[in-house]
Amino acid sequence: MRTKNGNTLKKTIGATAVSAALLLSLAACATDEPEPVENGDDASPSTSTETESQTLIAAIGGEPDQLDPHITSAYFSFQVLENVYDTLVEPDENLAMQPALAESWEVSDDLLTWTFDLREGVTFHDGSDFTADDVVYSYKRIIDEALNPSWRFASVTDVVAVDDFTVEIQLSSPTPNLLAAIGGYKGMSIVSQANVESGEIVSNPIGTGPFKMESYDVADSIVLSANEDYWGGAPAIDELEFRFIAEGSTALTALRNGEIHWTDSIPPQSVEDLSSESGISLGQVGSSDYWYLAFNMNRTPWDDVRVRQAVAYALDREAITTAALLGNATVNQTAIPASSDWSSDYAPYSLDLETAQSLMDEAGVDSAEMELMVSSDYPETVTAAQVISAQLAEIGINVSITTLDFSTWLDGQANGDFDMLMMGWLGNIDPDDFYYAQHHSTGGFNAQGYSNPEVDELLDSGRTTADPEARKVFYDDAAKIIVDEVSYLYLYNPDVVQAWSDSVQGYVARGDQAIRFRDASISE
Amino acid sequence: MIKKIFSRPTGVFSLLVLATIFFIAVFGQLITPQGPNEINVANMLQPPSPEHFFGTDELGRDVLSRTILSAQVSMQVSLISVSFALFFGTAAGVMAGYFGGWLDNLLMRIVDVLFAFPVLLLALAIVAILGPGIGTATFAIGVVYVPIFARVARSSAVSVVQEPYVKAAKTVGASPLRTITTHLLPNIAAPLIVQTSISLAFAILNEAALSFLGLGAQPPTPTWGRMLFDAKGFLDQAWWMAVFPGATVFLTVLAFNLLGDNLRDALDVTVDRKESK
Repeated sequence: MRTKNGNTLKKTIGATAVSAALLLSLAACATDEPEPVENGDDASPSTSTETESQTLIAAIGGEPDQLDPHITSAYFSFQVLENVYDTLVEPDENLAMQPALAESWEVSDDLLTWTFDLREGVTFHDGSDFTADDVVYSYKRIIDEALNPSWRFASVTDVVAVDDFTVEIQLSSPTPNLLAAIGGYKGMSIVSQANVESGEIVSNPIGTGPFKMESYDVADSIVLSANEDYWGGAPAIDELEFRFIAEGSTALTALRNGEIHWTDSIPPQSVEDLSSESGISLGQVGSSDYWYLAFNMNRTPWDDVRVRQAVAYALDREAITTAALLGNATVNQTAIPASSDWSSDYAPYSLDLETAQSLMDEAGVDSAEMELMVSSDYPETVTAAQVISAQLAEIGINVSITTLDFSTWLDGQANGDFDMLMMGWLGNIDPDDFYYAQHHSTGGFNAQGYSNPEVDELLDSGRTTADPEARKVFYDDAAKIIVDEVSYLYLYNPDVVQAWSDSVQGYVARGDQAIRFRDASISE
Repeated sequence: MIKKIFSRPTGVFSLLVLATIFFIAVFGQLITPQGPNEINVANMLQPPSPEHFFGTDELGRDVLSRTILSAQVSMQVSLISVSFALFFGTAAGVMAGYFGGWLDNLLMRIVDVLFAFPVLLLALAIVAILGPGIGTATFAIGVVYVPIFARVARSSAVSVVQEPYVKAAKTVGASPLRTITTHLLPNIAAPLIVQTSISLAFAILNEAALSFLGLGAQPPTPTWGRMLFDAKGFLDQAWWMAVFPGATVFLTVLAFNLLGDNLRDALDVTVDRKESK
């Protein structure tokens, strides 16, 4: 779900680390048992001061479906690819875009042409030089083949190599969020044409990033080795191994035993114990994901804004968040988390059964049957649904919970077979990511059937306005209407939770869930 | 027969336990300290205490109340599914045993095919096709037990059909239906009764297994298996979530099994125990 693809749902992907881990823990899997680390040519996890090579072992919740960054949509793939590929620009810890393969850029006065100066002397892992042609090839591949991330290029008319190290992106309309679009995640990676054409990119991707593919042991692990020629400086560790461990408790045991150095397969109920455990560092940061409820506005009585508001007043968000993630989340009434510059502090609703009841009375609804559609692949939705069901009973709404596997859930969403649904959107950076596709009347993911010309106009203006302050006003206004009319009923922003051995230095848990090991080192 | 069961301690124990479970299943709503779905998140994962004898679960629900009300659902599922199996299995077995010939061959080959699947695997396949839920789980468990009853009924019927009184009934022109209902069925009832008792135990286990896999009862309906499923993620934090419903399943299944054993001894029959796997 980190990926936001235009044609299929961006929700599909790996979800938050935690939910992905939980999801996979349901499927019994051959990769559960981590093997003890062998003391062969490579160092065991805790050796470091010796002259042997250093391997950092990270446990991820599942196996990548494939490693072509333009095609995969699985979070597990991007955990690996984050360390293999580069984008022109990339988000720093605060999700502000910083130079990467592009050293600098400028925008023309009409805001329709962006010119990027590329870093010189960068080479791919196979030794070939990185040039403007690679950028043009990568972007055109995404656009021409309508690959997953192609919607990010909606306003791009052409990508041109001006010279070997200058690329021009031409636009049909001003696109202030272009940097977020091309750098937001590794789905926008610059790939090697030879690698794509040989077909090897699926299992042996060649990028310009800090680590290169060393070996791939299907259903078990992927080993990367340090790229000594990395433009950002060679990584401190020699090898980076990703092991696939589906069961969160297994991964935690492996971490405690020193078999692995890092994991993000952490059940919410273990977070508290971990935070006080010696020898283990816990990284917990607010993410830019959000979880929400959406009504089917093509059905009565959910088409009545008063009924939707009544639901908003009848819910105790704190209780839902506590139940779903045991508090490892932040309650929010809009989509964008408080940590973002784009956040709004608009929060009109509070638990107020009297207001809820009078809204129901006003709407003339005594009681209602509601089918709440959730997915067993995202266990927090099933847990939250039970709390929601109990809370809505207070205002005469009788909730029946339908628990589906995620692909059936997606069908149900597409066909409108629900009264209300719960799900999350993950890996959002620009405010456009948070609101446009979900609430614009022509939005690709507006499954609830919301339509308000005023919101459409605000979201359109937000897309094409360059001045960040003016943009923020548009999005704040749009968010206010969306919240007031309950197009989505926002619940919370979950935390990213990762744990690693104290011997690992220089690793930081990031809100966008990018797993970057290039600055990590291992000490005794 | 009843006397004989009461004369043995295991028999008394099983009857007492089952009487309690049935009482709980019927009057559960009246005796639970709390609503089974009464959520109090502030009170989550509390260990057993005077307010909550069995502790609370991850949503602050009372584990005791949920365990009690699970009895209703679990007993319903096992009674309905075993009745289904008893009816259709016996019908198929008796027809095969009475008429013999090609009908016997046909029915028994079908039964053999069904029998070749492990019980739970077949139930899983049925639920996978029909969609999860308590209704389909009941149906699935019923279907997988049909072959067992069919075999038990047939093997008894085959020998009873050779008895002089059955032959006599046929000779004087009694219709097959009359022969079967008045002469055959009463004389093959004993093994079926024993089989029913044992199957009830395994139906409860299978319902728990299906619910544990998320394919039986859907939240928030409490069943023992569903409670164990929910408890799985909290074994480190809240042992009581798993121990109490688990112990109840254990006791119930044990009681049905002991009753079955005692019935078998009292009625002097041999039983096909393949399903115990």
